[in-house]
Amino acid sequence: MSFKEWEAVVNIIAAIVIGAWVIFEALANPSATVAAVAGRLLWAILYGVLFTIAAMIVMSILVSIARREGFRDEKADERDKLVGLRAMRNGYVVASIAGVASLFYLAFAADPAEAAYVLFFGLMLAGVVDAASRLVYYRIG
Amino acid sequence: MGKGQARIDNTIRTLRFNAGEMTQAALAEKVGVTRQTIVAMEQGRYSPSLEVAFRVARAFDVPLEQVFQYRGEGE
Repeated sequence: MSFKEWEAVVNIIAAIVIGAWVIFEALANPSATVAAVAGRLLWAILYGVLFTIAAMIVMSILVSIARREGFRDEKADERDKLVGLRAMRNGYVVASIAGVASLFYLAFAADPAEAAYVLFFGLMLAGVVDAASRLVYYRIG
Repeated sequence: MGKGQARIDNTIRTLRFNAGEMTQAALAEKVGVTRQTIVAMEQGRYSPSLEVAFRVARAFDVPLEQVFQYRGEGE
């Protein structure tokens, strides 16, 4: 697998780990206020970024050791850009649906905290769809 | 890259062999793409842009049609 494919795998793992942490926190404190939920989700985004950076470093080191050569990202060429655009299109569709779904939640006077969760997990899912699409497009063309 | 089966064949593998077993990495370096893109082209999973196609032909010093052949529908 290329560096960009490993990057997609790391993105998926990060989304799963952070998503699991948010679910755990939500179940542990179910009656949190909207502000508390929003703050938790902002922390989750920060943790997600940090986790992804750390996981990329660990992945690079492990793959470099396994292959006995430096494993670095290559400059993106036209195929990488095309794969990225197609994957982003898929992710954008999911993100749009998540945005509309959260608005529906609010429109029907549901708990705003739940709307925040819908938006957050929708965006997380969009990221997973983007990364999974990259993996698929790199494999099948 | 696109829907359905690619209708552009190529002889990159043969041309690499004729060029003294040029490696995919060496060709990628000459063309200015990643090795994975050369692999995908050889396997018919990716049809490059016209510019990259010309650069591949130039790397082997052959005309474009010697590297890529268009197969029309139903052929």
